Amino acid sequence: MMKKFVPVTKLIGTFAFSFWALVMHTPLPLVGLVVIELILLGLCGNLSRNIKAVFSLIIFAVFLAVVQLLGGGSMESAYVTGLRMLAMTIVFIILLTTTRLQDLTAALVKQIKIPYEYAFMFTAALRFVPDFIAESQAVQEAQACRGLSTKGNIFKKVINYMSVVQPLMLKSLGRSETMALSLELRGFGSHEHSFMSNVQPKGRDYIVIFVMLALSCGIVYLRMQGLV
Amino acid sequence: MLEMKDVSFNYGSGVPVLERVNVKIGEGEFIGLGGRNGCGKTTVTRLLMGLEKPVSGEIVYNGKVINGDDASVRSHFIGYVFQRPERQMFRPTVREEVAYGPKQLGMSEAEIQEAVEEALKATQLTDLAESYPPNLNRGEKQRVAIASAIAMHTQYLILDEPTSGQDSEDKEQLMELLSELHQKGMTILIISHDMDIFAEYCQRVIVIGNHTKAFDGTPEELFTKRPDLYDLGLSRPDAVALSMAAPDFPYCKSMKEFTAAMLERIGGTKQ
Repeated sequence: MMKKFVPVTKLIGTFAFSFWALVMHTPLPLVGLVVIELILLGLCGNLSRNIKAVFSLIIFAVFLAVVQLLGGGSMESAYVTGLRMLAMTIVFIILLTTTRLQDLTAALVKQIKIPYEYAFMFTAALRFVPDFIAESQAVQEAQACRGLSTKGNIFKKVINYMSVVQPLMLKSLGRSETMALSLELRGFGSHEHSFMSNVQPKGRDYIVIFVMLALSCGIVYLRMQGLV
Repeated sequence: MLEMKDVSFNYGSGVPVLERVNVKIGEGEFIGLGGRNGCGKTTVTRLLMGLEKPVSGEIVYNGKVINGDDASVRSHFIGYVFQRPERQMFRPTVREEVAYGPKQLGMSEAEIQEAVEEALKATQLTDLAESYPPNLNRGEKQRVAIASAIAMHTQYLILDEPTSGQDSEDKEQLMELLSELHQKGMTILIISHDMDIFAEYCQRVIVIGNHTKAFDGTPEELFTKRPDLYDLGLSRPDAVALSMAAPDFPYCKSMKEFTAAMLERIGGTKQ
């Protein structure tokens, strides 16, 4: 469903959902927003594949809420903080799981008018997240073969994880250097760019963008009335 | 004795990687593990090491089923050298790097020092003991990884394609080191695509093909009697091919042996 829309529509949608999450200041509408996002993720067929990520975000949201409570906030503000973070992050999962990175780069450069170098940096960083996780797993396995146990209390785990972080950082730095050289060798930095992706918005994209704008105005109005 | 009994494995997709594999690895053996790319060689060693769990079947060590033991437990008796040894290096010196494993085993300070010195000496790394591991070349990094396993007093040493990307000198040096360790009683299991290694150094070769053990026997049997040698993704080493081509020639496992046999045949001597 979401794949029918061009990246700029999804980017505007992402920022619209984040904006709504910031405008809302009561828990119930925020719960509704999170539920809508989860339904959208499910409709895209990506909920089951990203259930671990969603679960991790929920744990982080609970952690944020607890910090808010411990910092002297009310129970309601704790709920709002956790739910707001959840709403603002799940929408990014929808964006990233339904958009090809090269299309996203093309949209950022062509429509949002972000300089190519910055757009490339953003999408390249995203591209390396799964590689980074795989490399981290490989280093953990290598250390497990030398007797490193992942069992024990949280402090022991943190200390043990240091033996994973260092080779991982060295590997990542080496990889960045190789990538930088590879980019330079292929003319990175040239002023002329062309893109293979066609990211021109169509009629349905304009309708969705209009609906997003209208909803944003509506939510701001409801907030001024103290209803959300 | 390390055994795989009727072990089957897949990566969760249901597509079989290994089916009903039975392998026995006795103490003091020098075994080569071969087969086509993607046939499941590395999976066999990962199952032995505990980095993967069998879908069915058992991994047995000295009569005890160890399916539930993870890699950190099995590291007490199995050392594993990865294709990219730099993944495990994070200490500031080679000496400290080698000492990391023994520390995880809870050895005393004196025991650690003794184990490290012995391991550095065995791998000829004493001169590089204070070097920064990431700065070493590939061959030296491999030796650091082997030293790390030796220092843990492991009985078994598994190496995943240790000679790939190495020049002939580094390769020879590494294989000599493994031969020495084998002579001292260590069991070696080496994954390789290098047929010369199988022929010259291994007592036994196991080949994985069609998701299971396709061959288990001596290198001589593999290279001289198996008509499906090339179907299994292997090839005949030059020394073996030459010795088979020459009439009434003995089986030669290396070019050194072939040269000696040829000189003997023509009655000459090597200069």
